[in-house]
Amino acid sequence: MANKDPINKRRVGICVLLSFVTLGIYAFYWLYLLVKNVRSLKNDTRSCIGEMLCLILVPIYPIYWWYTRGNDVKRLLEERDCQASSTGSLFLVLLLLSSFIPLVIFIPMGIMQGDFNSLPTAVSKSHKANFFSPIGKFFRNIGKMFTGGSVGTKLSYFIFGAGNIYHKQYIKGGIFLLLQIAIILFMVLCPSINGTPYGYKALANLSLKNLSKGGEFDPATGGMTTGSDCKLMILFGFVTIAVIVIFVILWYKNIQSSYKADMDKKIGKKPTTFKEDLQSLLDQKFHITMLTPTCIAALVFTVLPTIFMIALAFTTYNDPDMNDAGTTLFHWNGVQNFARVFTGEGSLGFEIKNRFLPVLGWTFIWAIFATLTCYFGGIILALLINKKGLKGKKIFRTIFIMTIAVPQFISLLAVRNILGEFGPVNKMLMDFGWTNHAIGFLGLNPADSEILAKVMVIVVNMWVGIPYTMLMTTGILMNIPADLYEAGRVDGASTTKMFFKITLPYVIFITTPYLISSFVGNINSFNTIYLLTGGGPTHTGYQAGGTDLLVTWLYKVTIDQGAYNTGAVIGIFTFLITATITLITYRRSKAYNEEDTFQ
Amino acid sequence: MKKLIVVLLALMMVTAMFTGCGTKEKGVIRMWVGEESAEFYQKVCDEYVAANPDFGYTVEVKGMDTGSVAGTITNDPTAAADIYTVAHDNIGKLASTQCAKPITDEALIAQVIADNPASYQQVIYSNLNDVKYLYGVPYISQALFLYYNKALVTDEQAQSFEGLREAAKAAGTKAITVTGDDGFNMSFALLAQKVTDHSTTVKIYEGADSASGGSKGESNCQGDDTVAIYRWLQAYAADPNGFKWASSDGWHADLDKNNLGVLAVIGGAWHYKTAAASLGETNLGIALIPTFTLTEEACEGLTGVAAGDVYRGGTFADCKCFMINAHSEPSKYASEQQLIKYLSSKEIQNRSYVECLNVPAYTGSAEFIKQCFDEGKVTESQYNLAITQVGMAEWGIPQPFITGTLNTYYYSKNAPSVLRAIVDKSAYPTTGDIILTETESLEGIRKALYMVEYLWMHGQSPKDFPANLPDKA
Repeated sequence: MANKDPINKRRVGICVLLSFVTLGIYAFYWLYLLVKNVRSLKNDTRSCIGEMLCLILVPIYPIYWWYTRGNDVKRLLEERDCQASSTGSLFLVLLLLSSFIPLVIFIPMGIMQGDFNSLPTAVSKSHKANFFSPIGKFFRNIGKMFTGGSVGTKLSYFIFGAGNIYHKQYIKGGIFLLLQIAIILFMVLCPSINGTPYGYKALANLSLKNLSKGGEFDPATGGMTTGSDCKLMILFGFVTIAVIVIFVILWYKNIQSSYKADMDKKIGKKPTTFKEDLQSLLDQKFHITMLTPTCIAALVFTVLPTIFMIALAFTTYNDPDMNDAGTTLFHWNGVQNFARVFTGEGSLGFEIKNRFLPVLGWTFIWAIFATLTCYFGGIILALLINKKGLKGKKIFRTIFIMTIAVPQFISLLAVRNILGEFGPVNKMLMDFGWTNHAIGFLGLNPADSEILAKVMVIVVNMWVGIPYTMLMTTGILMNIPADLYEAGRVDGASTTKMFFKITLPYVIFITTPYLISSFVGNINSFNTIYLLTGGGPTHTGYQAGGTDLLVTWLYKVTIDQGAYNTGAVIGIFTFLITATITLITYRRSKAYNEEDTFQ
Repeated sequence: MKKLIVVLLALMMVTAMFTGCGTKEKGVIRMWVGEESAEFYQKVCDEYVAANPDFGYTVEVKGMDTGSVAGTITNDPTAAADIYTVAHDNIGKLASTQCAKPITDEALIAQVIADNPASYQQVIYSNLNDVKYLYGVPYISQALFLYYNKALVTDEQAQSFEGLREAAKAAGTKAITVTGDDGFNMSFALLAQKVTDHSTTVKIYEGADSASGGSKGESNCQGDDTVAIYRWLQAYAADPNGFKWASSDGWHADLDKNNLGVLAVIGGAWHYKTAAASLGETNLGIALIPTFTLTEEACEGLTGVAAGDVYRGGTFADCKCFMINAHSEPSKYASEQQLIKYLSSKEIQNRSYVECLNVPAYTGSAEFIKQCFDEGKVTESQYNLAITQVGMAEWGIPQPFITGTLNTYYYSKNAPSVLRAIVDKSAYPTTGDIILTETESLEGIRKALYMVEYLWMHGQSPKDFPANLPDKA
């Protein structure tokens, strides 16, 4: 029997995620495990409930605890020949910072957990570096560079580029200095757009307090003040935070640059010139040159808007229960929008409480069926088309590829017309006398069958989805090494056995990432549902209809109802679900764990 | 060298991305109007600029989708045009979200007062810091009316719902449908008026005040006439040759002469082209929304109505207005008002009718419409289209939503779906988790109508129902 490891190891990212999902409850459990781990390291077997209670209830105790336990963990790990990122002073600083930004508390917890994870265990596999290791390294380097650096390096802690100038790297130093001045000016002068400032004022504005309603109008001149715009206030606040992060990175880089020059000098090398630095950007650091614009674009066009939309989930932005100017004047309301899922408060809360679980359930059923039917349908079709002896393979393949060539929305709208009340299918059924009224195949009227509509969307989806899998599987089938089949034949395997033992495992091995992305894609399959059924049949009194997925419901709540804050909540839930499923399934798949090793 | 080229190309790409954002041109007044009239108003504005050298601005007119333009403006008013046109029910929302600037030019205000009917003048003002200002200048009138299949429905049959039913029975189909089940398109039942005296007990935000702390006015949806009308409609919808909701293929498919799903549809002027395509110009009849006669069953247990009372389907009789963007430069303000005064004058409204078939909003426009027909400037169906809308204005009220909240309460709070549930005799949910299992009985209809009124006034469903209905919310 394996020894049970007394140290609780946890993936830091999962712990943080669970803490968010459980609205902080898991964070307390995680903290309890950390307290327990420290005790275990000290071979202290007493109960840690009392210590945990003190941590939660006694105001100043956490400061003491984090400081002393940080140092304890460092010492105890070093005794076991392990490198530790935890230090009392670091934890103290982070704890103080967390009193201003509460989420910072996850950093010391993550660092300490990372240290525990790095301990060798009786039953461990190789441990992987955790997210917080670089943060620990960052703080260690700052200390190391200050104590080991030259006067110039020490100066560059306060004046950007001072170290470089000290080492006669004037242009580089000058650029650093100019950037420092520019950012400081940006922060102090607070330039504004449409009356909303950046800089330190933007940080203050993030509280969304002291809002001005505006609307001061001068009939003589036609001049009009338009008051506070909370949308811009949040956006500019985040931009300012991004500028501060860039400032910190520049600060670190300027110290690092000076320290590198120190080290070069120490080993008798001449510090690099500006020209050499530029040349390196086209040579060994070319990846940096190419990736920088991409990263900036991703930050500006993807990360910032995403953070902005997430932030809206915690506000009253355009809340239908608020008055008039909801898109410009709103305020933070904590997790109230999330709580509506459970309490049903507010006009949309009623909708969310009663429709969230049915919509979520149907989203999963849809995603599973839509994925599997298209996946296996595609494989079967590919096998049939690639069957030896079949004549006209290219013609068949072309026919199915044609369905991809036709834009999906045209196919879907055509099917919608075919199955509509006056469509050919209903006309034919009535002409044959099989029915005396039009059948609502797609649930477009409230009285139509929900089950029939659900079955129909899955069937119609096969029409637009199977050719993709067929095309991909055809390529895979053509690339299965012939010697595998040869070996199978030598061993006397039947065609069926070879299919189940060679073909299918090979295809599944290659296509697992596709299968996962296809599943997630189907969870967010807006086109198929919206264009075919519009989410119908509708449920009287609710936005979410019988075939609505989370994503189409999200569309209705935001576009039709204008409740962007509630929409953001649904969006975040959808993201959490898809991200969790993707991470878990992908990390457990053979394609991930046994990369390049299909056997 | 290759790498240098790659870097330069990447830089060019990034630069191109960031230079996409242009700046507003000075010396230009930008204007958004309905797509169908953009060319006309560009021509008129160019003429005005040429005739007034002192005006000092050129005008750029752009056609926008009338249905969604208000949303586009509230999403980003800084990017919207200096002058834009919207249906008047958007005034409250645009004014309260500081997307619109008050109009103060005395000559323009005098023109608005002199030219427009009193009903319009009640819904084009809003408050800013408790001061009442004119915000919208009417220039197009619009109302719902009836399109019908002239090949199967006589003009006389088209005058009443009963006549339509008779025609539908002969054709083996349904009588009538609507273009949507929302609060606007279903107004024919809610706003129906007694033929003899134009009376109705329905009130929607009557006397509402957009000042800070202002009231939502008075609403009523529980009158005996409303109950009787919905009971009548329930029966009419249950009739195999009566009312039906538009099919999944759209109302135009129902109206199509080949499908014969319905013989008539209640719609607006903006549905004209589609209706004509469904029936053909020669088969397309246009008439006032028909009358209907309350039955014994509809009036049973009610005191305010009597069997045999005749009602005509009602409508929201709206107007489209010019408005000035709050973010427009103050230096343009006087010129903008000067331009709007010209564009909303009777002369330009008349030209707009002849060239774009926009029904003028000013009082007494029927005379000009008739004159145009007599002079052969418009076809018979174009004449009917305009004169019917003018006629329907007498059977309707403008949407009285002078604040953004009231607009949201009326359209986005499930009241239309409750009204649909009554017609369908289906169940509907409430916030108190009370599921009403029927809307067929008098009590069920009363509860549903109480709920509709409560939604109008409070923006959410009632948690409970009063013991005795009708009850004022």
